Amino acid sequence: MTVAAVASLVVGIVIGFVGQRSRMCFVGGIRDWILVRDTFLLKGLVAFVLVSWVAFPMAALAGGEALGGFGTPILSAVLLTAVGGFGVGWVSILANGCPFRQHVLAAQGTGGSMIYLVGFFSGAVAFHTWVSPLVLELI
Amino acid sequence: MGATDTAATTRRRGFPVTGLQAGVVMAIGAVAAGSFFEVRPPDAYGICMACHGRDLISWVVNDLTGWRLTVAPASLVFPLLTVVGVVIGGWIAAVMSGEFRFRKPSKPLKNFFHGALVMNFGLLAAGCSTRLALRLGAGDPLGAIGFGAMVVGIVLATFWIRKAAQR
Repeated sequence: MTVAAVASLVVGIVIGFVGQRSRMCFVGGIRDWILVRDTFLLKGLVAFVLVSWVAFPMAALAGGEALGGFGTPILSAVLLTAVGGFGVGWVSILANGCPFRQHVLAAQGTGGSMIYLVGFFSGAVAFHTWVSPLVLELI
Repeated sequence: MGATDTAATTRRRGFPVTGLQAGVVMAIGAVAAGSFFEVRPPDAYGICMACHGRDLISWVVNDLTGWRLTVAPASLVFPLLTVVGVVIGGWIAAVMSGEFRFRKPSKPLKNFFHGALVMNFGLLAAGCSTRLALRLGAGDPLGAIGFGAMVVGIVLATFWIRKAAQR
């Protein structure tokens, strides 16, 4: 499993580099297109989805591990995913960038994004300590 | 390069990368990490800022305090270091292009809560915006639902901020 750690570090450095050079943002593309009809970032989002859609089966053909297949989702999972997805989109627009973009901004010295990351990681501990048990109790 | 691209790239020194190229590189990196380098299970886990950040922080907290915060199977033995890599890669690119400059946060409290909220919503949906897109590409129905909900959230929030700006 340390292979995964090293690989994720290398992949992280590469995507951090291209992300800084391109200002890539996974919510900014749709926002820019609505506000000023700019497709620079939107093309990146569409390319990401299309290339991964083609690359998953190709990687499996090339000897990589195939996707395990996805079952039919249950209703509670659908609802939670929809709420979570909506929240990610909404708050990321208010925060002026998706989590990936915020990491890159923090890396280039933006103080607001550094504070964002402090909240981001605190939020992870808060989620598993309080939010997740609460949600499980409600459903 | 199209007319809309030039405004964004002519100012940038060094190695200009278009959004399209970044999307292609990121998708290949995400699929390769998941299919060839054990960044799984779960499936389509190659890049996720929220889940990998959660794995890292939970693993460290568990190791230091003996708590049992949730960690994805891919990070059980040693946590995934994607978030560390992105910060290092972004820093290298910023320094090389002379774009590194410290800017004081103007609304730190707001930034903090935005970060905490996005992480909580992201973990609820099992993916940040990047992984929701990756799961859509992988054909995960739940991922597609999350991605669709995210697009709705983005569109509504964009109209919201435009309306707020016009007031």
